[in-house]
Amino acid sequence: MNASSGLAKTLKEWIFTIDHKRVGILYLVGSLAAFAIAGLMAVLIRIELSTVGPTITNPGTYNVWLYFHGAAMILGFQIPALTGFFANYLIPLQIGAKDVAFPRLNALSLWLFWMGIILALLTFVIPNPPDIMWTGYPPYSIKSPGNTAFYTFTVLIMGFASIAGGVNLITTIVHMRAPGMTWGKLNMFVWATMCAFILQLIFVPILGAAVTMVSLDKYLGTSFFSPANGGDVLLYQNLFWFYSHPAVYVILLPVMGIIFDIVATFARNRIFNYKIAVYGGLIGIVAISGEVWIHHLYASGMPDWIRIGMMISTLLISIPVGLLMISLLMTLYKGAIEYKTPMLYAVGFIFLFLIGGLTGIPNAIPALDLHIQDTHFVVAHFHYVMAVAGTFAIIGGIYYLFPKMFGKMYSETLGKLGFIITFIGVNITFFTMFMVGLNGMPRRYFDYSHMPALEHLHRIITYGAFILGLGVLITFISWIHGLIAGKKAPDNPWGSRSLEWTTSTPPGPGNWPEVPDCREFDPYGYGG
Amino acid sequence: MMRRFYQLVVLLLLVLLPAAALASEGEGAYGVHDPAEGFKHLWREVMIDITVIGIIFALITVYMLFKYRRKHPDQEGKPPKLSPTSVLGWALIPVFVFMADDFFLAAKGWTLWNNYRTVPENHYEVQLESQMWMWNFKYPGGVQTVNELRVPAGKPILVRMTSRDVIHSMYLPDFKVKEDSMPGRITYLWFYPKEPGEHTITCAEYCGILHSGMAGKVIAMPEAEFDAWLGGEIAKKGGAQS
Amino acid sequence: MHERLAEHDEHHEWETSPWPLVLSVGVLFLGPFSFSLYFVYNKPMLAVLSLGIGVILTVLSIAGWIRETVKHRLEHPHVHLQGETVGLGLDAMQLFIVAEACLFIAFFVAYWVTRLLSPTWPPAGTPHIEMVTPIIMTVILVSSSVTIHLGEERLNHNDRSGFILWLVLTMVLGAVFFGISVNEWTHLMGEGFTFKTNIYSTAFFSITGFHGSHVFVGLGMFLCALIPALFGRVNKTFVKSVSIYWHFVDIVWFFVVSQIYFW
Ligand code: HEA
Ligand code: HEA
Ligand code: CUA
Ligand SMILES: [Cu+2]
Repeated sequence: MNASSGLAKTLKEWIFTIDHKRVGILYLVGSLAAFAIAGLMAVLIRIELSTVGPTITNPGTYNVWLYFHGAAMILGFQIPALTGFFANYLIPLQIGAKDVAFPRLNALSLWLFWMGIILALLTFVIPNPPDIMWTGYPPYSIKSPGNTAFYTFTVLIMGFASIAGGVNLITTIVHMRAPGMTWGKLNMFVWATMCAFILQLIFVPILGAAVTMVSLDKYLGTSFFSPANGGDVLLYQNLFWFYSHPAVYVILLPVMGIIFDIVATFARNRIFNYKIAVYGGLIGIVAISGEVWIHHLYASGMPDWIRIGMMISTLLISIPVGLLMISLLMTLYKGAIEYKTPMLYAVGFIFLFLIGGLTGIPNAIPALDLHIQDTHFVVAHFHYVMAVAGTFAIIGGIYYLFPKMFGKMYSETLGKLGFIITFIGVNITFFTMFMVGLNGMPRRYFDYSHMPALEHLHRIITYGAFILGLGVLITFISWIHGLIAGKKAPDNPWGSRSLEWTTSTPPGPGNWPEVPDCREFDPYGYGG
Repeated sequence: MMRRFYQLVVLLLLVLLPAAALASEGEGAYGVHDPAEGFKHLWREVMIDITVIGIIFALITVYMLFKYRRKHPDQEGKPPKLSPTSVLGWALIPVFVFMADDFFLAAKGWTLWNNYRTVPENHYEVQLESQMWMWNFKYPGGVQTVNELRVPAGKPILVRMTSRDVIHSMYLPDFKVKEDSMPGRITYLWFYPKEPGEHTITCAEYCGILHSGMAGKVIAMPEAEFDAWLGGEIAKKGGAQS
Repeated sequence: MHERLAEHDEHHEWETSPWPLVLSVGVLFLGPFSFSLYFVYNKPMLAVLSLGIGVILTVLSIAGWIRETVKHRLEHPHVHLQGETVGLGLDAMQLFIVAEACLFIAFFVAYWVTRLLSPTWPPAGTPHIEMVTPIIMTVILVSSSVTIHLGEERLNHNDRSGFILWLVLTMVLGAVFFGISVNEWTHLMGEGFTFKTNIYSTAFFSITGFHGSHVFVGLGMFLCALIPALFGRVNKTFVKSVSIYWHFVDIVWFFVVSQIYFW
């Protein structure tokens, strides 16, 4: 057949695809786009904050940037990248299925997610765009001149997409494992993502309800959140965080899964204490994650007893997470560690996550949080743990799967260069941010002219952000370079034992000639 | 392997116990527990605690990353075989240690929390109604000020607050305290200005365009001066009425 | 690219389907665009237009989707790749119902929180609400649950026409239920009991409204089962899934009646 029709065919095979691998890759494209744009917003935010007083913009625009940055980074970048890209691409390959249970439904989730991205991007072109921050607290979100409906619908569409995705992949994991692929053998990633999807399934509808109420109040005149008419403003915050705290574990769990798989592969070693890591660590997190949301409302005037109660439950989360950390570290023990780029990112993750997670502890203690709540200290905490550690896991995971996805190798030198610069950048940026916050710099501030002493610290953060941006830029370049000029990749470049590497590279439709037989198989069966 | 782990446990305990020992809230004048003082203590302890934990984990990581580098291409790891008891040991001992630390922190947090929330008897009360984007204070005797909270130094100050429109949050960085003020609910915070002086009030809950411009001042003045000022204001109001 | 696969795999082509993409574009017009055009930028004409586009795209893609899956099942009856053929639809629906339940829980929580905070109940401005209608509606909905169950029974005896009969009856009952609640709404709004009235009207309209929308969706899914059935193509898994969904909607109604109307 001639070239043009061949091109048309490939195009059709991509855009209309219902194959889990291609759906996954299209998820990846969308989420990386969100990351790049929201990241550029972040750089603009940093430039604005680099001097006292207005620098490059006005408060209104700043708030819109920040709204987009937060919403797009969480809803558009990390959750889709993890529960969309990685989950779709890896799970069927790791459990030995030919596809997910409902390929068409899967494609629907994908395109709904894309519509969400489009909706979010429209923020920049529509008149009076939303400016209510990703938390969208009423009454402001109701009084705001901005288009709150877009916020509501972005959340609803993305939410429905991820619920459908969750239904789809949980069914897949439960019913479509290859013969002999018992629960005790699943990759950490499969377990972790399954836990994440369970959280999504239970909690996303709560968020959906909350944001729907906001739009009902604003546009149909109901009074859920208007005290004048018998409503209650704190109701929203409770519903919102009842979802959005578990949401942070929806991010953390798959991230942990990726890191575990990378570390096991590059250390050529078993997961240390697999059972405890799964049942104590992952499932422990799921169990606790629903009982801690008040730690976002320590200064919101909730009754004192519940603030204390949830301080304790919040602190207890360090136990399952700690168990995971121990399994992770001890997986290195007596391993044979090779420092390819993905492993570097995994190692970076360990340190950055320690910083981020441990700074969650002062947040968790209300008496201390009364000072740092809604300051840049919190911003620094969640950037370390989510924006940095999480993104490191995602980037590392992309490098890890790169050969399998595209059949090409990326350039190690570019990859490592990008890692080093990013690593330096994030620490300059976000460690300084802790100090700014501790000195009383509140969040969501366009300007800080009544605390000018903070200017030099803000300067440093901005420089850091540029270094960090450069690092990310190099990372992007290394991927594009790999796509264009990378040399052909073998089926299993890392010598991994895990099932996804037994396919041809890149895997075709149906992944394997026949469904593989996994009775003798062990994804971590290293060292005999 | 177990040995290194016991070292970890011992190290943790070694640090946490002294941390527990040096726990003592600052006892200000009038026997008032100043939360801001307590904050400084507890903050230092928590920082020590998490730094130690972080360093222990980081050191172990670095050690292993260095020790177990891959020597030749097709080398594989030699994963330790865990006996059922050591499986449990590796679960229960960490759980126990972490939980001990958590409860230690929780206990300290709780005591300080009580200082934050129990207002001393001899306090002076001011009312706040926040609005986009200013702070309206109301004193006993009906005197009102905007963005300027004048208080007698050396007295615990209680602020009862609500909001006219959206949620705001009265944040006093110098006194290490904040509380949201919102329509339909009444919340409070208290702070303890020991000496005369000026302190920032700033808004810590996103409230729209001028959120970052919503700043004010706490002006702590000697009690006599304060009474004079308040008296004067009341007189003015009286004059205005008649 | 993958010769090794091509030999064995029973379908070595990349599977494709345009409908998911079309459907999600339809949703984009149906939801956010029409809503914000109407309520935010008050451009009713444009709103109606985008609503129209949305409806067309949605209906079109759903129809196409069904045709495709039906065709697919005819072509490869034994492919254990499509969930529908191995009957996973049921499990998926159960998971989905968990999510749906959480949605309603959130609304009921909002209802009870605001209700318990309010000094008087029902709050001022609430008219007397007819207590007979909800009972009639309950009867109707319950009987519709029974009829669809009987329909399934017929299906298990491979009696298609019987199944179609019961299915149609169920849909009629559902439609009647829907009609009654619409009627009730208009009546109440006539009495000046609107969204804006007070916190009770807020809860009343949002919760009954949400339930009503679920009835509507249920009817739609029944339609998606009915039309192929008329052409002799019954997908048992799909029918089973839809009917448990219907039972779920029925159960939710019990909570609505007991807590919104009577309690
Ligand atoms: C991936 C995302 C992610 C993760 C994993 C976490 C993890 C944690 N977070 Fe964070 N958090 C966010 C994302 C995340 N957070 C976001 C986005 C916000 C702000 C939202 C907004 O307002 O916009 C936030 C805000 C936030 C707050 C509210 C602050 C405020 O607004 O005032 C609090 C308060 O308790 C908190 C606490 C914690 C705790 C205790 C953990 C714990 O899970 C951490 C557990 C990990 C460790 C403790 C380290 C490893 C463990 C060990 C080494 C074992 C030994 C340790 C001990 C015994 C202590 N977070
Ligand atoms: C996963 C989530 C995620 C990620 C990855 C990031 C990434 C970054 N974030 Fe952000 N952030 C949030 C989630 C995230 N953030 C959330 C939820 C909030 C709260 C919002 C709210 O308050 O509601 C927030 C808020 C927030 C603030 C607080 C603003 C305020 O409160 O006033 C700041 C300020 O510095 C900031 C900075 C940054 C920076 C510098 C990065 C950097 O890591 C960005 C790095 C990426 C890039 C730079 C883009 C890619 C690079 C290129 C395309 C190359 C070209 C660019 C250059 C060469 C510069 N973020
Ligand atoms: Cu007032 Cu922010
Ligand atoms: Cu949280």
